[in-house]
Amino acid sequence: MPSVHYYCPCLSTSPVPPPPDLESSSYSFHELHTLYFCTEPECMAIRCNRCVSVEVNGYYCPNCLFEVPSASVRAEKNRYGACARNCFQCPSCRNTLVIVASDPPEGSLSASVAAVGITGEPPYFLYCNFCRWDSTEVGITFEKATGLAGQLQKTEETAPDVVEFERLKEHFEPFLRAAPSGGIAHAHSNPITSAASSALSRDISIPGLSKYSALLAGRRGGRNDREKAGTTSKDKEELAEFRSRWETGAGASVAEGEVDWIKHLEDVGEVATIEQRWVGSWTTSMRERDLKPLRIPLHSKKTKRCPQCRHIIIKPEQKSQSVRYKMKLTASNFVPAIAISVPPPVASTKAVDPNAPVTFHAGRTYPFRLAFTNPMYEPTTVTLQVQRAPLLKGRPPFAVSLPSPPFAIAAYAEAWEYEDEDEDMADEDIDALLAGVGSPSGYTQPREVAKPKKPKTVGVLERKANTTVIGGELVIGKEGRGDAKFNLLVTHTYQAEDTAAQEGETEEKSTKTPTSRQAEVKTFSFYIVIDLGVIIPREKEESHRRDSEQMSIS
Amino acid sequence: MPPLRDKFTIHSKAVVCQDVELKGDITIGSGTVIHPKATLFAIAGPIVIGANCIVEEGAVIVNRRREVMRIGDDNLFEIGCRVECPSIGNSNTVGTRARVHHTLRLSHYCTISAGCLIVPSSDETLDPYTVVYAGENGLCDRRIWSGKGKMQEADLRRKHAEYLRDMLPKFNRLRRGEGA
Ligand SMILES: [Zn+2]
Ligand SMILES: [Zn+2]
Ligand SMILES: [Zn+2]
Ligand SMILES: [Zn+2]
Repeated sequence: MPSVHYYCPCLSTSPVPPPPDLESSSYSFHELHTLYFCTEPECMAIRCNRCVSVEVNGYYCPNCLFEVPSASVRAEKNRYGACARNCFQCPSCRNTLVIVASDPPEGSLSASVAAVGITGEPPYFLYCNFCRWDSTEVGITFEKATGLAGQLQKTEETAPDVVEFERLKEHFEPFLRAAPSGGIAHAHSNPITSAASSALSRDISIPGLSKYSALLAGRRGGRNDREKAGTTSKDKEELAEFRSRWETGAGASVAEGEVDWIKHLEDVGEVATIEQRWVGSWTTSMRERDLKPLRIPLHSKKTKRCPQCRHIIIKPEQKSQSVRYKMKLTASNFVPAIAISVPPPVASTKAVDPNAPVTFHAGRTYPFRLAFTNPMYEPTTVTLQVQRAPLLKGRPPFAVSLPSPPFAIAAYAEAWEYEDEDEDMADEDIDALLAGVGSPSGYTQPREVAKPKKPKTVGVLERKANTTVIGGELVIGKEGRGDAKFNLLVTHTYQAEDTAAQEGETEEKSTKTPTSRQAEVKTFSFYIVIDLGVIIPREKEESHRRDSEQMSIS
Repeated sequence: MPPLRDKFTIHSKAVVCQDVELKGDITIGSGTVIHPKATLFAIAGPIVIGANCIVEEGAVIVNRRREVMRIGDDNLFEIGCRVECPSIGNSNTVGTRARVHHTLRLSHYCTISAGCLIVPSSDETLDPYTVVYAGENGLCDRRIWSGKGKMQEADLRRKHAEYLRDMLPKFNRLRRGEGA
């Protein structure tokens, strides 16, 4: 499948992307729907998930939608950031558990079996509607049907992983308090660094690695300190070595018991699967019978900021029930969407697998089409410039020709505003259809090329509503090989008449002078990478042909 | 093998909607509810359904064997399931769009969760309280239910059937057995 990806320059110091044949190139290109756009005049740039800085807006339980204050998430009571109300997951199948009452004693009912209306009674227990796991299997019952997490806390508090986590928090607290508060927060606001630091803290909780934990934390802390506050790495020495309660050798005795159990095992279903045990942060029993209900981890809503100017790019509404955003600057609202298609070769009569990569033969020329869709309320003019293709033995493996003059794309409008235009288009379509009778591969030839014998392949092919389709040509050299993949600089220029209305920014107005408000010309450039398909080198093609000839002889 | 002649025996307290496809020798017990668009095919041998069962829309029950397919009491066949078990005990649940092959028999209080496909290569009978559910790997896992809460569940199923026996006749024409 041919593809188009957009460049975010955050991984490089240069605004020009790396050549597409470099492996690293793919990390700098993204799909349009994953990108953001900073509309601040000094930025006007694409931002990606990797470079925006992220702050937690609020925590909530994905099951009961209860919003948990950040302060209490940070506080001790909310271990692992899980729902502290009545939300649990089935340890067997991960469905959400419900709290149900026990049946009345069986004897009392034998006389009135036909009578409808049995009411349950305490004790209550957690029950899975899907796989019918229930918490009585692991000896967990509740006196009341509410405040389950609180009732469970007593038993949880003595669990080895909880105790260890508490001790770790105690151990690191002096260090965290000593660290410069602002510095840490900033260092963690970038998703790369926060992911790295959370990975580090995860390592620390692995029993076998705990002896290195102090070292890791110390090193990390030291670097932060030097960078952010300029203090000495004194903290590193002050942080004592953490001793885990879990001795790595101690596992052997537990394992012995399990070996015995496995020897007498008759049903493999009694062994908990890896998936079921994976979430446990501590060494857990291998028995399915020992699996405990899981707390449901909280989710968070996040605010994203531009890494350069710190302006907000994404801000969800606070309420957990709401799926709306207070601020949402996605690239798809500011940058034309570009779709690529490669018409199948005329000669092909076989049905083509739409997911198979498009292949090209060396020494031939292929047409392709780029459809530009303008998301903005202003018409825009686009100029294309191909970044020079990588060289192969001094000669480029392929060349790309695209229209060099700028072309226009109409403004986005609501569907009903197109009505009249659609009728016009219908007539044009008919003309085009008549002119292109016998045209291969089913796509209509453009109206402009009806007269000449040779249909135009490079240039504007079609205009419909806010989409303009451009034809391009891929010319593959005789020695061509590799991927037909190239970077393209797209520059679009538009007259922003009232940007404030469109971008939802109020500050914009005040900064603009009255004269420039009339029709401010804005220009924005961005890179995309276009992957058309794979070039079949000449020698391979010949050997392939020889093979098939031999086959037909024998 | 010649197809069985159609012969429908429907208890006067059963609710069988008109828009139900019946073929072959079929007996439906007291209090059992068959929703519209359900299908019962007694291809080779008869089908006998007990009391207070619920067969929901789009459910398909097929007897491919010559022996009688006996379905006990208080069973629930949810929307779009397909069941070919040669015998089914009491208080079983076959979930939405689950499919059970004719090599499997259900005893009592078994649950086949939504979407599970069970095709044992040789004849097998599920033990009472067996739960077959789609596990995390997408395969069907099995476990044994403790049975806790089964009385409340039975009570709920009875109320469910009772409600349907009240409501369905208000909006659907009913089938009557021959001679009834
Ligand atoms: Zn980026
Ligand atoms: Zn919750
Ligand atoms: Zn479950
Ligand atoms: Zn910015």
